Amino acid sequence: MERINQRLGALSALPVVLFLAAGFLAPLIVVAAFSMMPQKVFSLANLPDFSSYAIMVKEGYWESLLVSLAMALAATLILFVICWPLAFAMAKVFGRFTLVLTIGVVMTLFVSENIRLFGWVLTLMKGGLIEGYWRTWTGQSFDGLLYNVPVIIFGLVYVYLPFMLFPLAQGISMVPDDARQAAFDLGANRWQIFREVELPLAAPGIMVGCLITFVLTAGAIAESKLLGGRAVIVISDEIERAFTYGQNWPLGSALAVTLIGVVGTLAIFGVSRIDLDAIMGRRR
Amino acid sequence: MHLNRRQFAKCVGAAAGLAALGPAGKAFAARDKEMNILCWEGYNTDNVLGPFRKAFPGVTTRAESGTSDPDMINKLRAGELKVWDLINVNQPWARQQLFPENLIKPLNKERFLPYFAKMSPEFSAPYPLAFAESGELIGMPQRYGPFSFVVNTDKISRETAEDQGWSLFLDPKMKGRYGVLTYDNWNVIHLCMTAGIDPFKAVDDAGVKKFTDTTKAVFEGAKMLSDDLVAMNTALINGEIDAYFTGGTYTASPARFDGANNIRAITPKSGPVDGKGGCVWIELTSVVNNPDGSPRAEDFLEFVQKGEIAKAVSFAEGTYNPVSQMGDPETFKLWNTAELDAIQWDSLGEELKRSVDFSVVPNYDDLLKIYTAAKRR
Repeated sequence: MERINQRLGALSALPVVLFLAAGFLAPLIVVAAFSMMPQKVFSLANLPDFSSYAIMVKEGYWESLLVSLAMALAATLILFVICWPLAFAMAKVFGRFTLVLTIGVVMTLFVSENIRLFGWVLTLMKGGLIEGYWRTWTGQSFDGLLYNVPVIIFGLVYVYLPFMLFPLAQGISMVPDDARQAAFDLGANRWQIFREVELPLAAPGIMVGCLITFVLTAGAIAESKLLGGRAVIVISDEIERAFTYGQNWPLGSALAVTLIGVVGTLAIFGVSRIDLDAIMGRRR
Repeated sequence: MHLNRRQFAKCVGAAAGLAALGPAGKAFAARDKEMNILCWEGYNTDNVLGPFRKAFPGVTTRAESGTSDPDMINKLRAGELKVWDLINVNQPWARQQLFPENLIKPLNKERFLPYFAKMSPEFSAPYPLAFAESGELIGMPQRYGPFSFVVNTDKISRETAEDQGWSLFLDPKMKGRYGVLTYDNWNVIHLCMTAGIDPFKAVDDAGVKKFTDTTKAVFEGAKMLSDDLVAMNTALINGEIDAYFTGGTYTASPARFDGANNIRAITPKSGPVDGKGGCVWIELTSVVNNPDGSPRAEDFLEFVQKGEIAKAVSFAEGTYNPVSQMGDPETFKLWNTAELDAIQWDSLGEELKRSVDFSVVPNYDDLLKIYTAAKRR
């Protein structure tokens, strides 16, 4: 009976498995296959020569990958520091006001990322909101605040804030108040409670928030283009350029596969260390 | 209605069968009632499509605007050959990529050659780059424009910019005062010009060295890079930069039409290509080699030759550009003074004389590698 059940289970899952294979895996496989092709071909009917990977190393594309990963790491750390107090307040302090805050943060996602970033361009540019008012009030002018690396990281922090905030709030809500109070009663100070009670108990939320923001920021492109004036070239920019102006699909695919590989490994490593069931509120 | 499981399965089976037959049936139907255009912004506006829809009632016309030539070409390469009937890209992409790879097909010369006679003098010969090496007419030219660089004339006078030409960007005084509009293929051509090399001839080792040094110097001196012409114009207007490398009437016209007449596209007076230092782009609209192409494609191509439609294409939305049909005096009357000023009509003739058509860059791949590496630093 059990075997029949298993077989039936597999059979019922088949349509979804096929759908996933066609819609999710197939494009990835095509990209992976293209990445092995000789330079500048547009069909998979060629003998693989892996030249794109060699070019990637030889011609410095790895630098863009490092730049993207470093900025993603910086943005993730900054987001964690900014979001922790806010998430703590949402989970433990604000009560009903949390809903208002949640709606407020979610609302920003309804506006296209490019439009929000262009709003910042108008704020930060020379003659924009900040420099313009400063010049009017003080008579002194300074260069705009755009086109550098810190402003790109600022853009990443701004755009990806909700993706850190909500998992973090979820994680913090898993820390029982009793545990914190018990720690207080036993003489722990605020820092000890944070380090030894809250951080470990909220770890699944922290891990999910960090993973999501890191993965998204590593592949972000608009912040570097709009705010950064391409002060540095990010890996997604290189991928886009290879597919378009470069007309070199294999190189673009190799860059994409490498990015997916690096980020995917980090994600799998992270996910394997957390208990997803716990964060979903289910017991095993 | 009560449906049991068996009946339901039957219905689903029948529906699936019909769905499978559907597209097959459609593929064999003549597509004279629909037409799809893949184009740069302009041809997809109501000003252009509206009159066509009125003239051809019952024909479903769809247009999608691409953000770059290679983006649009990628769509055809990725299997959308069956979707599109017309494609509108810059001349070198049509001649070097689309036609050799059978993605577009030749036009009917008897039908289209007569339209060249009424075009501006540069095109009426007819325009040689609308033809493939083998002599076939591969597309109709309409929008065009000089494309070199753009300055704010309040900071750098037109005369200075034209006299100094490309070396403006190597002037130590300009360090940190200009941006680079990163249209990669154009940048490569313009960097060659800045290095004093003819991009349309094979570049030797000494030339590659010069190109490398120039590219590094231009990127090091640039305050910002962007592939967005609005961002460039904004930075130019608010004084963040005083010039941008790679630009022309196409990029300057929206700012000029908004009243910023100090933003001006510049064509250098001299340069390394037979003494010329400017470049000009020309779009070709071509018929896609769609196995089931719509006969309305050539009708549309003919339709946009009309004066008022050519005007609508010239002043569609986003950017404003001269069109080859302005050579006809009757058509020319449709532009007012402000519009002519936006597209720098006053100097267009002399700018074209100082410009070369952009064509094959023999060392493009090698130069692009150097360019990409320099941009990263």
